[in-house]
Amino acid sequence: MVFLKDMPEAAYERIVNQELPEYGETDCVAGPPLAERRIAIITTAGLHRREDTAFKMGVGEYRIIPDDTDMNDLIMSHISNNFDRTGFQQDLNIVFPIERLRELDKADEIGSVAAYHYAFMGATPPTDQAAVAKDLAGLLKGDNVTGVILAGV
Amino acid sequence: MGGLAHYLEAEGIPTALISLIRGHTERMKPPRALFVPFPLGRPFGAPNAPDFQRKVLSTVLALLERQDGPILEDFPDKAPGPQELSDEEMEGWTCPINFSSSVDDLSDTEKFSKAIKQEIALLRPWYEESVAKQNGRRLDGLTEFSTEEIVDHLVAYAEDQDTPSFLEGENMARAIKLTCDDLKHFYYQAALAKPAATYEDIDNWFFGESLGGTLILEIRKILIGLEDPVLKRVGLINLLPHAMSHHAT
Repeated sequence: MVFLKDMPEAAYERIVNQELPEYGETDCVAGPPLAERRIAIITTAGLHRREDTAFKMGVGEYRIIPDDTDMNDLIMSHISNNFDRTGFQQDLNIVFPIERLRELDKADEIGSVAAYHYAFMGATPPTDQAAVAKDLAGLLKGDNVTGVILAGV
Repeated sequence: MGGLAHYLEAEGIPTALISLIRGHTERMKPPRALFVPFPLGRPFGAPNAPDFQRKVLSTVLALLERQDGPILEDFPDKAPGPQELSDEEMEGWTCPINFSSSVDDLSDTEKFSKAIKQEIALLRPWYEESVAKQNGRRLDGLTEFSTEEIVDHLVAYAEDQDTPSFLEGENMARAIKLTCDDLKHFYYQAALAKPAATYEDIDNWFFGESLGGTLILEIRKILIGLEDPVLKRVGLINLLPHAMSHHAT
């Protein structure tokens, strides 16, 4: 019952009609063919390594997930409890498909997997992420990333 | 998430987004997005379904090669669901003992505390089985407290709301939120020793039958009655999922 349509009406209305900033349209950046791209994953599931500080509400911060992290050590401190976590408890890839990405790399469907991935907590107002996104873009460029998968929860 | 897509793309980084709330994506118009008809919390569809997850990932990756944004495509397939459990299999993950009849007075905190620790002890083998099945992966650990210590702290708070925060460097609202989530993670991980159980079954078992859920509901009720707006807010929105609001007392 974590399908949005199955939520109680008041909660459904609150989520669907929540205030969102308007961005207009942003041009799509061009890049090489997919088979030559270096891909990073950015999740808003509030993931981080066990030793990292848990996410706090209203702070547009992120956590770094180095590609050589022991992925079994990732935990979730997202403040919302209105999405399913049992899928994540059974299989990290349901929110952070790192093994699938590595398989696509091995099959030469993508060029390579980035050295660093990133996690935000999705309950943060989008405008609070503006400044940090600029910094993040610099880090992604430094890692020669040419494609980012953004996965919410 | 839609905002990040705009910000990163404006800085020269190509993005493709997985959307679970189509209406938000329609309004925010990220450059490239794939709407997936999956439950919230499951952007790649289903756990332990690598072929399906790979199909979702390949579909969203393919959008990176397009420049005709804003793109909002629909993923055509529903996620594969869990298999039905037989009654015999259900017994494996439901709480082994229902203590609710022996804990009819929550003001008797010593009795309650003892009962919930007994419940945790009975669930512990299932928790360990679940962790072993996942090669040591465990989801609790947001704080360094043991499950039993969390119970002690939350029960003490239920008795006296004027006690100082039990989590060093954090206010009481955050201490309560993180420990309640850790307690919940322990129970859910135990229940997932039988992975075919649905998340709705587990939610209903936790909040409807277990003493762990009863404790969180009790803390929630206390917080909602407080004047402190931060604590009240945690009680109102951060402890009980909307879909489980029928368990609120």
